[in-house]
Amino acid sequence: MKVTVQQQQLAHGVNIVSRAVTSRSSLAVLSNILLKTDNGRLRLSATNLELGISAWIGAKVQEEGGLTVPGRTFVDMVSNLPNEEVTLTVDDRTQTLNVKCGTLNTDIKGISAEEFPPMPSPDLDNAIALNIENFKEQIQQVVFAASTDDSRPSLMGVHMTFDGNTLEMAATDGYRISIAKSEMAQKVPQNFEALVPARALAELSRIAVNGDESVYMTFPQGRGQVIFHMNDAELVSQLIEGSFPNYGAIIPPSFKTRTVLSTAQLLKACKQTEIIAREGSYIAKLDIQPEVDGEQSSLLEISARSEQTGSSEVMVDASVDGVPLLISFNIRYLREALEVIKTPTVSLETNAVHTPGMLRPVGDDHFSHIIMPINTAR
Amino acid sequence: MERKIIHLDLDAFFCSVEELLDPTLKGKAFAVGGSPSGRGVITSASYAARLHGVRSAMPTREALHLLPDLILVRSGFRHYSEYSKKVMDILRDTSPIVEAVSIDEAFLDVSDMPQPIGSIALDLQKRVMDETGLPCSLGCATSRLVAKMANDFGKKQVKSGRSPQKITVVEPGKEEEFLAPLDIQALWGVGPKTAAHLRQRGITTIGRLAALSDADIRIFFGKHGESMRRRARGIDHTPIYPESSDPKSVSNEITFHEDQDDEGNLLKILRGLSEKVGSRLRKAELAGSVVQIKIRYSDFSTYTRQTSIKECTNLDQNIYEEAQNLFLKHWSRGRAVRLLGVGVTNLDKPHRQLGLFDDDGAKKEDLTKAVDDLRDRFGKDIIKRADTLKGKNR
Repeated sequence: MKVTVQQQQLAHGVNIVSRAVTSRSSLAVLSNILLKTDNGRLRLSATNLELGISAWIGAKVQEEGGLTVPGRTFVDMVSNLPNEEVTLTVDDRTQTLNVKCGTLNTDIKGISAEEFPPMPSPDLDNAIALNIENFKEQIQQVVFAASTDDSRPSLMGVHMTFDGNTLEMAATDGYRISIAKSEMAQKVPQNFEALVPARALAELSRIAVNGDESVYMTFPQGRGQVIFHMNDAELVSQLIEGSFPNYGAIIPPSFKTRTVLSTAQLLKACKQTEIIAREGSYIAKLDIQPEVDGEQSSLLEISARSEQTGSSEVMVDASVDGVPLLISFNIRYLREALEVIKTPTVSLETNAVHTPGMLRPVGDDHFSHIIMPINTAR
Repeated sequence: MERKIIHLDLDAFFCSVEELLDPTLKGKAFAVGGSPSGRGVITSASYAARLHGVRSAMPTREALHLLPDLILVRSGFRHYSEYSKKVMDILRDTSPIVEAVSIDEAFLDVSDMPQPIGSIALDLQKRVMDETGLPCSLGCATSRLVAKMANDFGKKQVKSGRSPQKITVVEPGKEEEFLAPLDIQALWGVGPKTAAHLRQRGITTIGRLAALSDADIRIFFGKHGESMRRRARGIDHTPIYPESSDPKSVSNEITFHEDQDDEGNLLKILRGLSEKVGSRLRKAELAGSVVQIKIRYSDFSTYTRQTSIKECTNLDQNIYEEAQNLFLKHWSRGRAVRLLGVGVTNLDKPHRQLGLFDDDGAKKEDLTKAVDDLRDRFGKDIIKRADTLKGKNR
């Protein structure tokens, strides 16, 4: 193989795929990045068998071929090259990659490209096209709620439901659940569900470039995988086996109290409270006070107390419709949900001290977030 | 301002409680302690038994050798802590500054009271006797060091075979004079080794220690020389710390009669300890997020290991699961264990993040509460986990 590429493009491509490089693996080739000529472009790939990422960059191909080189070495090397042309030459006999850029001339020992696990190619004719910008936003609205606990693998995924022309995504760690809906340009031929690792979607939203282009999603038959295809990049992930909880059943049909607040004010109050609450298991008390005729206007008081740090109280103007309630939540859960709500006002709906509360953007029914309270009373 | 400090010590506390529970023991040579088989030791000896040389911390076997008629009793720690609490409540009623240093010993700062210290002590002694029936001795001085030493000294003067009920007052300004004739080992900070060194140099009393030159005192105590001299002169400014009512940790440990090396047995014991810790946490309305275990092997090498959990807990099963994991990870399999302990720290008010999909946690809480209720009403053995039962009972 012999190709010439621009350093900036090479660095961009290497940066995209490096997140799938395994740092510790019994299979040495998984610590490597694959470089391979592909229809007049240079393809870079990395995989940890769960997640695989490929990126294509423009190249002058003088000789076809490929090699895998140690990921860390190559990432560090490329990021320190001057912004000039880089010539990459593989010596097939010694399995060595020669890198020439400016006055630098480096040889990196590699492993044959043959040993790199084959990456499946997407069947683009039957792919679901999703608008990148909308899809990225939808991902960001749910991924943070997914579990990071290996012992509950099905909660480490984002549940995707394709129904006609709507896509509903949901993620939960067992204590809160984020649900985001969107409309697709086309109907799916057949309704179906998939459980995609939250990590894969987080990576996708990182590498997908905004614009009017689409991301194409395909599920290769019988492989338990999903492929996301974009013009210059592709991401392959194993799907999670196992069942996602039936979350429709836990959404309360009605609420006793509806509190409407300024999203920005509530978010600020949560951030202030979290400074104290993070030292005390993130517990914050929410005192929801409806208007008392002629005596007091309705408001929400958020307080936290920590044995070590101290205590904090903050009032937020609110319009409260319903009964008063003193309820405790993990303040981080509230803050993280508010951070993905874009509307100027938000509603918090509640019933009782041990039943879930729901946050929804006012005037936008595409998103809802349900949080279980903390039981502090004994 | 000159301080007024009282040191109170309940006379042969465990034995006095036993006498209250069973008045026929009064005046007899008896002791509270472990069984003579295995590693049992005397916890407390009655004054009649002390006349025969029986001392606390002496192996029970040895005590019975000295005094074959020695009566052994053990009514249980619950009674002792009940009585101890009654006494401490009386002390706290007298002064807000009370530091309980053990179950039968406390310091009081009564500087704010106008009466002479000796009469405060006399009133206390009478009140403790009237309200609990327990005899006590008191030492009174201007510092905790001298108050404690005065009490120890006073009690030793009584050799009647009955509880001393002694009050010893060291008047302000007489501290150095009081300490001077006492044996050096009576002074805090002088261990047996240092005492032996000092004696070789002819320094047998605290008075001689106080008179040492700066250079000499540094030879024995290094950088602590100056503070040792102050102590020897009866100067001590350590305040009395009223204990906070919030414990920092709750733990329970057990030393075996015979070393244990069987995994199944050790795990059963670990479960029992976890249950005790859980029960105490729930009584105190506390929960903790760090679980620790302590393993002491036959050679006395001791290991403490701990793990953090996401949420505060006070549930037996959660504590046991963490303790079990720690134990199995750190125990050298098959190595004989002498002592095993379980503790929970990082205490806080109990709270639990409720789950969206499972009611597992709520069920565990309900079960634990039901078990606690049963044990409160019928004793702790009314209900047990099946796997803690011995083979024949299963």
